[in-house]
Amino acid sequence: MNIYGDYENSLHRVMDDLLQKIQNLNQDEVTHHHPKLYEHLISRVKDPDSMVEKCQRKGYPVTTQAALRQCKDAIGLRIVCNFIDDIDRCLTLLRHVDWCTIVKEKDYITNAKPNGYRSYHLILDVTTPYQDVDGAVPGHYYAEIQLRTIAMDSWASLEHEMKYKHHINNPERIGKELKRCADQLASCDVQMQTIRQLINGD
Amino acid sequence: MHILLAEDEAQLSRVLKLAMEKSGYTVDAAADGQQAVDLAKKNAYDVMIFDIMMPKKTGLEALREIRATGDRTYVMMLTAMTEVDDKVTGLDAGADDYMTKPFSLKELLARLRSLERRNEELDDDVLSFGDLTVDTNEQTLESNNSISLTSKESRLLQYLILNANKQLSSDDLLNHTWDDDDESADAEDVWFTISYLRRKLSSVGSTVTISGEKDGPFTITA
Repeated sequence: MNIYGDYENSLHRVMDDLLQKIQNLNQDEVTHHHPKLYEHLISRVKDPDSMVEKCQRKGYPVTTQAALRQCKDAIGLRIVCNFIDDIDRCLTLLRHVDWCTIVKEKDYITNAKPNGYRSYHLILDVTTPYQDVDGAVPGHYYAEIQLRTIAMDSWASLEHEMKYKHHINNPERIGKELKRCADQLASCDVQMQTIRQLINGD
Repeated sequence: MHILLAEDEAQLSRVLKLAMEKSGYTVDAAADGQQAVDLAKKNAYDVMIFDIMMPKKTGLEALREIRATGDRTYVMMLTAMTEVDDKVTGLDAGADDYMTKPFSLKELLARLRSLERRNEELDDDVLSFGDLTVDTNEQTLESNNSISLTSKESRLLQYLILNANKQLSSDDLLNHTWDDDDESADAEDVWFTISYLRRKLSSVGSTVTISGEKDGPFTITA
C-alpha cells in the first residue's frame, strides 16, 4: 500500500475523466471551426515516492490525507498549445465548465520566474462520482493543470534536464544563457501570435 | 581614444601629439601618407587626423585608400588650403570633419572631446522610458517581465523612444531603422515590426504604447 492508500485507482480514473473532458472541449472548438485548442495534452499521477518526498519537504505528515488535500498536484495535466492566445482560450473555457472550480491561478507567463520559466498554472477542484479522502460522494479531487506553448515547453524540458545534472561546471553562466534563450523563445511566441493575427486580418 | 595623426611637419606633429597625449589620448604619429595607410591597416583607431599635403601619398589619397578597405573610422582633415573646393573634395573623399591651418589647439581638443562624448552616448546601450528598460546591446526589453528583441525591433524602438511623443511617418522609421542596402524594405516591414513591438510591450506588462494605424504615423508614449 502506498501513500495514496485506497484512492490510487480513483486518482487514475479522475485523471482519465479529466483528459476526456478536455479532449471534448477541444472537439467542440474544432466542430465550431475554431483552431484546435492545443497541440498535445499529457497527464500523470505523481509517483508515490515523489509524493512522500514532497510531504516530507513541505513538513506535512506522510499520510493519504496530506497527499490528497494539502498537496494539490497528485493529478497533473499539461496542455501544450501552439499559440499564446490558445492558452487564453483554454483558460476561458475552463473557467466556465460546471465540473470543476478553479481554486488557484498562477500566471508565470505575465510574470515569468527569474530563471525564465513561463507557464500558466491552475489548481482545479474537480467534482467526481468517486468517493474522496474525506469520505464524501460525489467526491472532490484536486488536479494541477499547466498550460504553456510549445516553445515554453521545450525550454522547460531543457531547463529540467540541467537542473538534475549536478556536474555542470558553471551553473550561473548556463543559467544566464537559458534565461536569454527563454526570452528569445518568448519573442518567437509573440511574433508567431502576431503573424497569425495579421493573417486573420484583425 | 586611440588616435592616428598623420602630419609631415615634424615640429607641428610633436606639439599635437604631446597635447593630445596630455589630454589622455593614445597617439600614433605617421610622417607621410603611406605610413598612415599602413598604421590604419594594422591598428584600430577611434579618430584619424590627416594633413592633406604630405609626401609619398597625400592625405586625400591615404583617406581614399583607407575608406576603400571598408574602414569607417572618424577622420578629420588638417590643411593649409582654405579653398572651399578642397574642403568639399576632402569631405566627399570620406572625411568627417575639416580644420584649416592655422587652427587653435584648444579647438582641436574641444572637437575631440565632443566626438568622445558622442561616442559614449552611442555606446550607452541602456535606454529607460516610462516603465521600460531597453538594452540595445543585449537586445532585450524589460518591464515586469523580459523578452528578446530582433535587431530591427531594437533599432526601431530606440528611434521611437529618442523621439517620443512625436508623430513619425513610416518613411521616417524606414530611413532610420533599415539599412540603405535593404531596398526591399517597405511600409509593410514597418507595420510588422510595430505589431511585434506592441505585443512585446504588452507581454512584458508595460504601459508604454505605440499609437498609429497601419500606414502610420506612429507615436510612442509612456
